[in-house]
Formats: sequence, structure tokens, C-alpha cells
Amino acid sequence: MNGAQKYPGLPPLPPPFAAQHPPVARVLEDNCIACDRCPPVCFFDALHMEKRTGHPHGRTAVVVVEHCTGCGLCFESCPVDAFVWVPDMSPHPSRPGQRL
Amino acid sequence: MLTTSFLGLELRSPVIVGSGPASHDVNQIGLAERHGAGAVVLKTACSDKFEHMRFWPRPRYKLLDWDKQIAGRSKQFSLYSYEQGYSGSLDDYWEFIRACKRNAGIPIIGSIFADDAADWAAMAAEVEAAGADALELDFSSPHRPGSLQFDTTFVAAMRAVLDQVKIPVLAKLSPGSLTESQAEEAEHLGVHGVTLCNRLQGIDVDIESQQPILHGYYAGIGGPWAKYYTMRHVAEAYLKLHIPISGTGGAINGEDVLKYILVGASTVQILSAILINGWETIARINADVTAYLQGKGIERLEMIRGRAVASMTSLESIVRWSGEPLDGARNVWKEKDP
Repeated sequence: MNGAQKYPGLPPLPPPFAAQHPPVARVLEDNCIACDRCPPVCFFDALHMEKRTGHPHGRTAVVVVEHCTGCGLCFESCPVDAFVWVPDMSPHPSRPGQRL
Repeated sequence: MLTTSFLGLELRSPVIVGSGPASHDVNQIGLAERHGAGAVVLKTACSDKFEHMRFWPRPRYKLLDWDKQIAGRSKQFSLYSYEQGYSGSLDDYWEFIRACKRNAGIPIIGSIFADDAADWAAMAAEVEAAGADALELDFSSPHRPGSLQFDTTFVAAMRAVLDQVKIPVLAKLSPGSLTESQAEEAEHLGVHGVTLCNRLQGIDVDIESQQPILHGYYAGIGGPWAKYYTMRHVAEAYLKLHIPISGTGGAINGEDVLKYILVGASTVQILSAILINGWETIARINADVTAYLQGKGIERLEMIRGRAVASMTSLESIVRWSGEPLDGARNVWKEKDP
């Protein structure tokens, strides 16, 4: 799945992936139980809840990629491991940690 | 009631946002002000020689031992992190300070890190020129190169900076056996205040992969438990110093802030509490401290500063004998004489 890796370093993020495409968080919406825990823990306004028709809970957490700094706090808040890392492909050359 | 005089600045609250991810962005200064912070210490800018410290690995945070309460209710956690310095260039940082000053009504304290005394002085001059109200010298980041020694590099840095600028200068020190002597040295050199203490480095290991977690190296580690160590450093420094102390480390609520004041801190810097429990933490602390002072009929915070230290006993006068026999068998149950 395009480099998605589970946090924290289990297994460690492969260096080329981390160096070339610093990871940002993504929600596996099928896993999300809409518990509302992650938005308040995200310090960078990168997480909010959205309505989803057909989702068992009617809502899901969503990551705003442009705001995500890949810090890792949301992984801690999630009780069902609904977060994965994906490469950051957003055009933010000034983003901390990103050397594209 | 919470008004605090610190480094010649009048702060409306003793609660200061510590240098870190909550002071890396102009918008955050507005949030800090709106929630009642007395001042903000900006994220630390590193000299060009340490340009690599402007890049942060991802992920950079792991919350250990978290009680998983949200909405401001967490009381236990350890924030394990490898966040580095201010992520922009030095020119960006000077502009960042100017933007903060344009947009904020609370004092802005710059924060810098370098190695050569000339770099320290040049950066301090720029911080002053950009309009910062004070300057914190970060001698103690858990991520600094271990080769830099206090007695050489940082003493020279203090001399150079104090020669260079007129704004008040704070020295931020590490916790450890040398904290008090370094604080005394800083005061001797003419520093206007000390920040006690920065976080320490730690390491955590994932036993499944048998690897260090996160980026694979030591990380900064702190949390509410850390306050007991730093409060002791504040207490010891308060007994020895004549300059104000900004206490920091593990304070997450009004009780913690009061404890820091009672052991001698003039101000208390908080950070991880904001990160984990939200910006409302500042307003909640202000309200709780105010309620405490009102309940006790105390008019000004400075009236209780250092009171717990003043009540401390000396090592020699700790009562060690509580009535048991000084010789013979001890802890033996004896029927009392009828």
C-alpha cells in the first residue's frame, strides 16, 4: 500500500521512504470508530471528523494533509489503530523535515 | 492578582508558554494571548552551523504512559520527542519575531542556540533588533551536541551576549548535579534570570523489533512526573540566587504552578500540557491559581513566592529518632505493663 507503515517503527520506516517522502498520517476509514479522540490531540488542526454515508458509525476522522506535520500524536490517541503513514506528496518545500 | 514582575516586564500571569511546538507559529502567539499567557518564549533558532537541526524527523512524538484522557483531563504522560529547532532560516526567525511583536500584546522572548561566542552575540543582536522583549539562551536542549561544555562554550556565550544586548537575558539550564553551580555562574556573569530546567535525554525500546523507537536515537523526555526534580532545582537555586527563576518541567495545572511559585519560581513555563490538554490549559491554570489566592486571602502571588523553601528544615535538623530504643532489639512487640 504505497509505503504505508505502522507506527512506531514497527518495522522501522525504511530510510529511503522517510528521507524522500516524509510520512503524514492517514485514517483507514473502515477501522475508524468515530470516537472523537484524535481531533483534540492533533496540535496542528490536521484532523477533523466528517460525515460518511454508509459508514457503520456515520462519521470518520479525516487528515488534512496540508496541515499534517507527521508528528505522531494521533497514533497515540487512536484506540483501534486506524492510522497509517503514507508518503507526503503535498507541495510544501518549506515544510519541516521535507527535503524534496 | 496574577500580575508578575519578571525581568523588568509586567506579566499579567506567571504562566509562560515555553519554547517549543506551541511557539513556532505567529498564529500560536495569538492563541497564547487569548488564553491568558503572561508571555511566550519562541521556538529556539539554531545558528547556520546547526542547519540540520531545522529539519525534524517524522514521526517525532511518542506519548508514553499516557492515561489517555482527552479534553484537558490528562494527568499522566511522558512526551518522548525528537523535535528540533525553529524550522526556517535565521532571516525567517527575525521576521517571525517582528510578526509576533506586531500581532501580540504580551511580551515575546526570543530563544537561540549556537556554539561560537560570535554566533551567539550576532544572533542575540538580531533578536534584539527584531524587537523581542527578552532573550533566552538555550544551553540545555536535549538535542544539543554533547561536545559543548558549559564552562567553556556557554560561559563564553553569556559573556558575548551580555556585552552585545540591552534586553534581559535568561539562561536555560539542564537538570543535574551542576545546575545550581551553573545558575550561580550565570548570575555572576550578569544574566538577568535563569530557566530551570530543560528536559533530559532518554531512550525507549520496542521489545518486539528490539529497536529503539521513533528515529532510532535518544530523545527528549518529559512529563508531569518531571516537576519533582525541577522543583528541587528551583528550590536550591532560590536559596542561592538573587535573580528571578522561571520554573519549567511537568507543570500541567494550577496546583503545579503554585508549587513552583512556593519553591521560589517567579514564572512557570508550560508546554507539553498545552500540547496534550489544549490551549485552554493556560486559562484553567490562571483561574485555579486565582481561586486559590482568593480562598487564602492572598493579594499578590509574590507574597507566597519561596514560602515552602523558607519553611524547609536543614539536613542537620531532620528529626530522625521517634522514640524507639536506641540499642537492643528493635521493632519487637512488647506488651505494655498493665
